[in-house]
Amino acid sequence: MIHLPVVKAADRKFEANPDNAPTEDLREELFQLEKEGELEVIRVPDNYIELPTKYGRMKKIPVEKTWHHKSCGQCGHIPGYSTSIFWLNRQFGLDYYDPTDQTSCTAWNYYASATSNPEAQAAVAIRNFAAAHEVGYFPLIHCGTSFGHYKEVRHALIHQHDLRRKVKKIMERLGKKLVIPEEIVHYSEWVLAMKDRIAERQEVDMSHITATVHPACHYHKLIEEDAIYDSEIYGAQRTAIVTGTLQALGINVGDYSTWFDCCGFGFRHILVSRDFSRSFSVQRKIEVMKEEVDPDIVVTHDTGCVTTLDQSQFAGRAHDKKVGLPVMSDSQVAALAMGAHPYKVLQLHWHNTDNKPFLRKLGLDIDKQWAEFQAEVDLIKAGKKEFMTWEDADK
Amino acid sequence: MANENILIIGGGPTGLEAAKGIADLGYMAILVEKRERLGGTPDASGYAALTPDMRDAGEAMDEMRAAVENNPNIEIMLNTEVTGADGDTGNFKVKAMSNGSEVEIEAGAVIVATGFTHFDPGRETQKYGYYEHDDVLTLVDAEKMLKAGNFVRPSNGETPKRVAFIQCVGSRDRQIGNEYCSKVCCGISSKQAIEIREMVPDCKVFIFYIDMRMYGYWENEIYWPAQEKHKVNYIKGMATEIIKKGDKLIVKGEDTTMRRPMEVPMDMVILAVGMEPSAGTKQVADIFGIKKNQYNFIETIGGALNTVSTNVEGVFAAGACTGPSDLEDCISAAGSAVMKSIAAIRRLAVPA
Repeated sequence: MIHLPVVKAADRKFEANPDNAPTEDLREELFQLEKEGELEVIRVPDNYIELPTKYGRMKKIPVEKTWHHKSCGQCGHIPGYSTSIFWLNRQFGLDYYDPTDQTSCTAWNYYASATSNPEAQAAVAIRNFAAAHEVGYFPLIHCGTSFGHYKEVRHALIHQHDLRRKVKKIMERLGKKLVIPEEIVHYSEWVLAMKDRIAERQEVDMSHITATVHPACHYHKLIEEDAIYDSEIYGAQRTAIVTGTLQALGINVGDYSTWFDCCGFGFRHILVSRDFSRSFSVQRKIEVMKEEVDPDIVVTHDTGCVTTLDQSQFAGRAHDKKVGLPVMSDSQVAALAMGAHPYKVLQLHWHNTDNKPFLRKLGLDIDKQWAEFQAEVDLIKAGKKEFMTWEDADK
Repeated sequence: MANENILIIGGGPTGLEAAKGIADLGYMAILVEKRERLGGTPDASGYAALTPDMRDAGEAMDEMRAAVENNPNIEIMLNTEVTGADGDTGNFKVKAMSNGSEVEIEAGAVIVATGFTHFDPGRETQKYGYYEHDDVLTLVDAEKMLKAGNFVRPSNGETPKRVAFIQCVGSRDRQIGNEYCSKVCCGISSKQAIEIREMVPDCKVFIFYIDMRMYGYWENEIYWPAQEKHKVNYIKGMATEIIKKGDKLIVKGEDTTMRRPMEVPMDMVILAVGMEPSAGTKQVADIFGIKKNQYNFIETIGGALNTVSTNVEGVFAAGACTGPSDLEDCISAAGSAVMKSIAAIRRLAVPA
């Protein structure tokens, strides 16, 4: 026993105090601007759950009446990601809106230094917010890139009168108002807010599973005071997102030293220096997770992170690196826990790294489930149906 | 008839010096302190040695306490917290909770000496892991260990072979909103680095910094001896993250002189946490209606030529409640506040 006049880390308690927040509460600024007639605030619908943010301020997470702002990369690369979010909403009988008139936020190119200007960026964001507001729903952002970007846009619009004036003019030409949501909410915050309800309906035991979590940079590094933290999770020193959800499902979350590092996506790097992305993803993330935790699965909450961590491992395989970790989103894991079909709903056949050993460890009969999925595909091929329906997904 | 007593709020070095000054000039000082003991942060945080003269901090605080205790011109009220205030120069009525009872204190002028608090590294945007790793400490923690004469790794009790200081934690940081320099941390880190080298001669000590800010004589008294005599390594570059690898800490960051990223193993890391206004400073400012600056320190209104007057006539502020200050600043400001508070009362007593 060492007797020292210092408190050891386990007994040091960080107390989040909104009075000590280094930044102003943007929501108060928003409502003030609304009073002054500068903009309109989209209120969080009545049915919401409050979660604490980094400095102890509470953030309202809408349970329903959500307008699903999808991700370009999700829809293109890993469609089961968003399908799982919708499937969860349907399981709880929640009122949600899946728009067909949402545009790309264009932020990927913006962060890769490839395009655009502040007015265009802000106008695209407001156009999407307005589309949600017009149908009476609240934006729920699936994409980490869009989420981080919209927070930056909101910050800029609040602080720059000139930008507001220019965007207002563009909106007038489109016949839309300058509207900004009271909260910018990421889907993984919704999943976390729903974790206890998801756990109540858990059908697949996951208590023997170990996962590592990659928190998305654009979730917790941009306007970081707005991200969800919990004193029970890493002493509120890391975001509670994903980890809190997995723990509620009984999954053991393993810690690894490079948790703060980017997944390798890097926006610009994945476009112009893809080998760097692959190397970083394999050597700084996957290999470190394998060496330090050896998990069954990697779980994250952004399109770029899932695709980069998942789809970089083929390169590592060719170089005999320690790879082979399946990668999924928290929405997919939550849906799987509640009994969603791994192929019809999670669409895991779109993922690159072999996830069969993980699914088998969960006790799933994946050969049978693959045959069920294949039968649906055969019907489509034979022209007997145009697409799979939600009813087909739950058969 | 104007009340000639002067109320001093805060029993740290500034408040103690102010009380002694008032008593020496033949006036009555009422010294209120919310803790059960005088001595302020050097006492509460267990400082080992003062910067820059390395004098034993406990001994120095004992000397300051002895100068006010049993002094017939000083009334000391411990366990006392100010809760309300009314009146103006010559006629302040201040409410306080003293040992569980509400009391009213009458005074002609007030000196606020409510001091600072150390920055909580849990709010840091860099990932220093203070709440995760036993061997990541603050200057305050290190000071306590040095005072106890036992500088070892808290994780395993072993003598460290490599120790790093990281400067400007919570200071000069726009992300956090503390854009100011806390003034004393460079000196204290260098002082502690010397103490560590003396206590554990085989231990290598590194200081990662943006700029080393060694005010006045500290340059010659601490900075050069640390490098030349005690072989402390100064590395220009900010550390961004501390991770654990095995039983070592890895400091990640950038060496800006060498223009390259760095990842260096350490046994212990000491975060040079800066100064923020104490809770008492914010509370007392609000009670008296004293203007605070954007960092919530008390704003003095006289610029460089008057560092103690506030926007409330008859209420003066001194020491670290007005911004980052070293001990020399605090003692000097206490003298200035004493002079101006007595002058304020005398102006009422002596017809123009």
